[in-house]
Amino acid sequence: MREKVMSLSQATDLIQDGMLLAIGGNAMHRNPTLFSLALTQKPVKELKVCGAAPGIAADILFSTFQADTAYFGFFGLENEAGLAPGMRKAMEGDEPKARAVEGS
Amino acid sequence: MPVGGMWGSDLVDIRPEFFQVMKSPFSEEKVVCVKALVPDYAILHVQEADIYGNARILGPSYQDVLMARAAKKVILTTERIVGTYRMQEEPKLTAVPHMLVEAVVELPGGAKPGICYPEYLTVDWDDHKAYQKAVKAGEVPQFAAKMLEGRL
Repeated sequence: MREKVMSLSQATDLIQDGMLLAIGGNAMHRNPTLFSLALTQKPVKELKVCGAAPGIAADILFSTFQADTAYFGFFGLENEAGLAPGMRKAMEGDEPKARAVEGS
Repeated sequence: MPVGGMWGSDLVDIRPEFFQVMKSPFSEEKVVCVKALVPDYAILHVQEADIYGNARILGPSYQDVLMARAAKKVILTTERIVGTYRMQEEPKLTAVPHMLVEAVVELPGGAKPGICYPEYLTVDWDDHKAYQKAVKAGEVPQFAAKMLEGRL
């Protein structure tokens, strides 16, 4: 077995433009939120995300327009946390910056 | 890939790019086939991982175990790094084995402002409201810089 411990910055450097990321957890539960926040500090773009119920970690990537496509069953933060504000921001308006492929 | 379900769902008709009906090669039975997504990475936050990438998920695993196997590679963030003896004591509790993993980042609080059972059980509402405001203001990178101070 090979040791794979690295810093958050080193791990986010693995992500390249256009990659498809499966985001773990569910809505507000056990989402890799700080990893997504760390990606907002990098110039990576045109990401695609997938998950049954992508939550805040995916929402962050849409809020900065770094992700442009989501494959999902349900996309929201649930309960008191409400709707996904970043995804909504990316999708609303005359020229949406994100594509939602629900039921995929 | 063929699946046993999906009959009765409108998705079969409205998402032909993902769902197709084919005849079984073994009988006259019809089978729904689903296009597989192949993520470049699965990004998973777990409670325990060792330095090699063997990971345990405490509480609900959601789709994380499937994601780890569907993706080309896994990046783990973990509440804590534990000794490999933990995995050797109870190997069946290893949700993600090391050979699927490319990176392990020790990151306590990595799911905040969200929840990570049993480490933190409620949303950090102050930080969540700050995130919502940052989205509206277009200032998520600045919010992120504050949340990540000293952690990159």
